[in-house]
Amino acid sequence: MDQETVRTICYLARLEIDQNKSQKIQKDLEIIIELIGSLQSIDTTNVEPLFSPLEMTALKHEDVEKSDNKKEKFLENAAASNEDYFLVPRVVE
Amino acid sequence: MSIQFKSIVELRAMLDKKSISTPELTQESLRLAKKYKELNCFVSMNEEMGPKKASAIELDKKTTSLISGVPLAQKDLFCTEGLRTTCSSKILENFIPPYTATAVKKLEDAGSITIGKTNMDEFAMGSSNETSYFGNVHNPWKKGYVPGGSSGGSAAAVAAGIVPAATGTDTGGSIRQPAAHCGITGLKPTYGRISRWGMIAFASSLDQAGPLARTAEDCAILLNEMAGHDLKDTTSLDFTVPDYLEDLDKPINQLKIGIIKEFNLNELDSEVQSRFQDSKDLYEKLGAEFVEVSLPNISASVPTYYSIAPAECSSNLSRFDGVRFGHRADNTEDLNDLYIKSRSEGFGDEVKRRILIGTYALSAGYYDAYYKKAQQVRRLIKNDFDNVFETVDLLMTPTSPNTAFAFGTKGTQNPVELYLEDLFTISSNLAGLPAISIPHGQINSLPVGLQLIGNFLREDKLLNAAHVFQENSDFHLAQPTMEDFL
Repeated sequence: MDQETVRTICYLARLEIDQNKSQKIQKDLEIIIELIGSLQSIDTTNVEPLFSPLEMTALKHEDVEKSDNKKEKFLENAAASNEDYFLVPRVVE
Repeated sequence: MSIQFKSIVELRAMLDKKSISTPELTQESLRLAKKYKELNCFVSMNEEMGPKKASAIELDKKTTSLISGVPLAQKDLFCTEGLRTTCSSKILENFIPPYTATAVKKLEDAGSITIGKTNMDEFAMGSSNETSYFGNVHNPWKKGYVPGGSSGGSAAAVAAGIVPAATGTDTGGSIRQPAAHCGITGLKPTYGRISRWGMIAFASSLDQAGPLARTAEDCAILLNEMAGHDLKDTTSLDFTVPDYLEDLDKPINQLKIGIIKEFNLNELDSEVQSRFQDSKDLYEKLGAEFVEVSLPNISASVPTYYSIAPAECSSNLSRFDGVRFGHRADNTEDLNDLYIKSRSEGFGDEVKRRILIGTYALSAGYYDAYYKKAQQVRRLIKNDFDNVFETVDLLMTPTSPNTAFAFGTKGTQNPVELYLEDLFTISSNLAGLPAISIPHGQINSLPVGLQLIGNFLREDKLLNAAHVFQENSDFHLAQPTMEDFL
């Protein structure tokens, strides 16, 4: 892993790393990747991945309409909002 | 009469005898939290709504549950309506949830009083509670030592006797390891036994809520209330919830316990080995039979976990973007800049590290090598458990390879050093199995934990074995002096 890869991953994750921490992060990532890379020695030919320990179909329930509108409460937690929407910097000129 | 260090059963008896009222009990618990403020185990106190609820419960004679009127603390990862929920992160420093997590709501509906929200590793990522934005939690047994993590605040609050029990969550050992380091009992139930709705997600296929308490009996009382299907969480199991108190006292002379060959216990600290041997002897005396079992892939648990958990975390934490809730950076140029600055200012180093690892493991070209590979190994680990549970009832291991350590002494140079703290606990999360940690002695005045792992939905067997152990020993009754925190 080089600094360029670290920069790409940071951008993908929408994170910025302080310049003075960048070397340390690179080293930490290398150590962790080496750790998880150790799995390569295990033979997993024809083994299906186990994405959830339950492996059961999600339970379904009736789709019943509820009038539980908490719009105001949800908007209260946003740093910027008007009475209907979350506000963000202008996206379209 | 002091309420400090009392169990749920003891506090209920005091309430029943009217030697204390519910409002008095709540106030006393809040007073203890203030008295031991230096422990730093709480992020927020519920000083307004808690006492109000206590007065209402006092008047409501209909509530007959075993936790009615009992003060509890909630890990600050459970959303609580109207009460700040931070996940011990700057990014949620001012977040007031509009709803309450199902697990907490069930406890509150049964009459318990939430007295506060407990400190934790940021977003539950850590094994020492040193990644919290609100500072380290001290171990009640020794100032300047970690309480374990990530549910470190909950474990410390119970060990200090401020509350008889608290909620926690366990993704790789986050209930059991702090329970062990603080000398209390902690139960991680089967994946899906308790609803995850309203829990702030870290790794969705591994996260599970559970109780931390002074005794296995109290854990059974809490599990009775917390367990059950929830329409709002489609991964919560729709199976009948048994009465976990029913078989607590059952003799364990038919019990067959497996010792995992691959863990090489003889390589551990000799004191940890000796406590383990003593507990094995006690179980044998009580009639249990031990056999050595092999789980050939269990040694791969730590690398498997550190591929899967960060991958799920990077996906789950993408919701923190500064738009709808949480910290938003000032002076941003455009929307992308707002995302980047808000997240970079809001998350701490360990959270960033895990998001980056997960992003890398899921990125094009690496997905098969890291993420898919880990999920395949996960199946091999689960198959190993399925095989051994055909011949044994429970598995027994130490909870942690060591006792609590001093702040700043582990993982600072190499993060993997701290990841190995979870060596014995991680595999049950990967396989979705229940496990419990109970105190079984001390080394240099610091508690040591014993872990029992059970088969799918066999919390009853775990609680039975843990309770019988506690009926025949007094390790769970030990109390820290707390004199360094006054």
